[in-house]
Amino acid sequence: MSEARRIGDALWEIPASARPGMRVPARVFADDELFEAIARDGSLEQIENVATLPGIVDAALAMPDAHQGYGFPVGGVAAMELPDGVVSPGGVGYDINCGVRLLALPLAEGELGRRREPLVHEISRAVPAGAGKTQGRGGRVAEIDAVLRNGPREFASDEDIERTESGGCLPGADAAAVSERARERGDGQLGTMGSGNHFVEVQRVERVLDEPAATAFGLREDQVTVLIHSGSRGLGHQVCTDYVKRMDAAMQRHGIELPDRQLACAPASSPEGRAYLAAMAAAANFAWANRQAIADLVRGAIARVLGKPVAKGTGQVYDVAHNVAKAETYGGRRLLVHRKGATRAFPAGSDEIPEPYRAVGQPVFIPGSMGTASYVLAGEPGSMELSFGTTCHGAGRTLSRTGARKQIAGGDVRRQLEERGIVVRCPSNKGLAEEAPFAYKDVHRVVDVVARAGLARPVARLTPLGVVKG
Amino acid sequence: LIIVARQPAAARSFDADAGGLSKRVYRWAEHTGELELRIDAPTEEAVFAEALTAFAELVADDGSADAEREEVEIEAHDRETLLAEWLNELVYLADARAFVPERLTELRLEGTRLRATLRGHRGEPRPLVKAVTLHGLSHEGDDELGWHARVVLDV
Repeated sequence: MSEARRIGDALWEIPASARPGMRVPARVFADDELFEAIARDGSLEQIENVATLPGIVDAALAMPDAHQGYGFPVGGVAAMELPDGVVSPGGVGYDINCGVRLLALPLAEGELGRRREPLVHEISRAVPAGAGKTQGRGGRVAEIDAVLRNGPREFASDEDIERTESGGCLPGADAAAVSERARERGDGQLGTMGSGNHFVEVQRVERVLDEPAATAFGLREDQVTVLIHSGSRGLGHQVCTDYVKRMDAAMQRHGIELPDRQLACAPASSPEGRAYLAAMAAAANFAWANRQAIADLVRGAIARVLGKPVAKGTGQVYDVAHNVAKAETYGGRRLLVHRKGATRAFPAGSDEIPEPYRAVGQPVFIPGSMGTASYVLAGEPGSMELSFGTTCHGAGRTLSRTGARKQIAGGDVRRQLEERGIVVRCPSNKGLAEEAPFAYKDVHRVVDVVARAGLARPVARLTPLGVVKG
Repeated sequence: LIIVARQPAAARSFDADAGGLSKRVYRWAEHTGELELRIDAPTEEAVFAEALTAFAELVADDGSADAEREEVEIEAHDRETLLAEWLNELVYLADARAFVPERLTELRLEGTRLRATLRGHRGEPRPLVKAVTLHGLSHEGDDELGWHARVVLDV
């Protein structure tokens, strides 16, 4: 920590000379308070470890919501030069393409009125957490294979596909690179939320902060929205498990030494690297299909409670990945950008952005902690210069799950949220305590840092009306 | 509960209620994002038994039957990896087969090979644990001074 120095208004740097083995500096986007929180929990050591990976360019980065993870910190970003820089499955994470999708209803909060609680209740009935094998969408092998290849294109509307990062389908996906065990775990899990920090939240647009961008995204004040947070479920978890194991066993052969086994990696051009990227793309496609299936279930719940016209008019603003490695071009270099708990945030003009948003920048969603605000942002040009087209992904934990449970009972979290008028549906009080709002950093502060750094700008602030957790 | 030691010559068995295994020897250490499991146990076998108890705490549902049986056979290249693989098997059984473990009826360790028989039920295991990481993974000790293990679970 003593080696860290501030090099910008909201940017810190640890030089590559700070530790033997670092190939590039480590940089952290943070203000004083967030930097202190990041330094406190071991995240700096983890981002320094990332800076030792073969093929890494420019700097290993940590976003302002960064916290201690395994291998990479959560909120970590690293770009490796292709074709021979490494790919690290742990640098993507077990929940491949965990991400968020925002739906906008053609309805203001006032029009929702007393139907708010029935809506939250109906969503909680419609979207299973995914425990056991009795819930979720059926998983015929043929269906899973098609989803692994094509993602939600198998069953989504063109409008939804257009408003999904990468069109919901990463190139190079190979279903054959996904193990039988991963398929077994994914069987029946399409359209399930999972547990931990995953959720479906009914929200209201509290404040529009950038009128032109909000209009382009189809958002206006008081509008009702639904934010979906989930990933690739057991299928993606198993893909990562399989390939961490495979790369861990191949480290010696590739002559790579690492400060942490979880950083296990292989050149992207090696057989292990290519197989992982093909399997990761397939798992990412599965995750987009999962969020699509959840969105369809949410629209079904909307139809039953608010009527079919409202469901039909419920549009998708966008869907972004938080955990993924993607080949992108910066300054003429072809790089493999690992985002582990971080969001792509391309600025206006990028042809990777849906045409309706191209003049304002890519939408990014930053969920706050349960019960606090979430933000809609738009990508800014600074992201291309400073962070490989990336911004933060959430508020970021600051307190461990056990620490949160020591401080509050789940029933009290439920009561506090309900006192603020937020409808809560969560089968587990323990889970609620672990996700207590005070266990997270201040989302406003995190958003302020990425705005000051020029990575993304705030477009709208959303506040919760109801929370469904797995 | 029958625990069979990894060396046949040193084979031993004892009752969980009378022996050290019923003593709670696992704990959750502070980790901001994930769950860090620490185990201190008198024998290597007890480390694996405790890992099961800790995992069972995380996935427990409302059921308590033990009518179902699952067998696990795994091998790894070293002791700590075997512990991670053991937990990975439990994650797989919960996620793919909805198996909620209740108790261990047999555990046999031979070097870095493990064979175990579990009793439990098909239920609705809480889908909390995504995977077992290699981050900071350790498992070391001896029967005189005790065994100590550390595993970080992605949740």
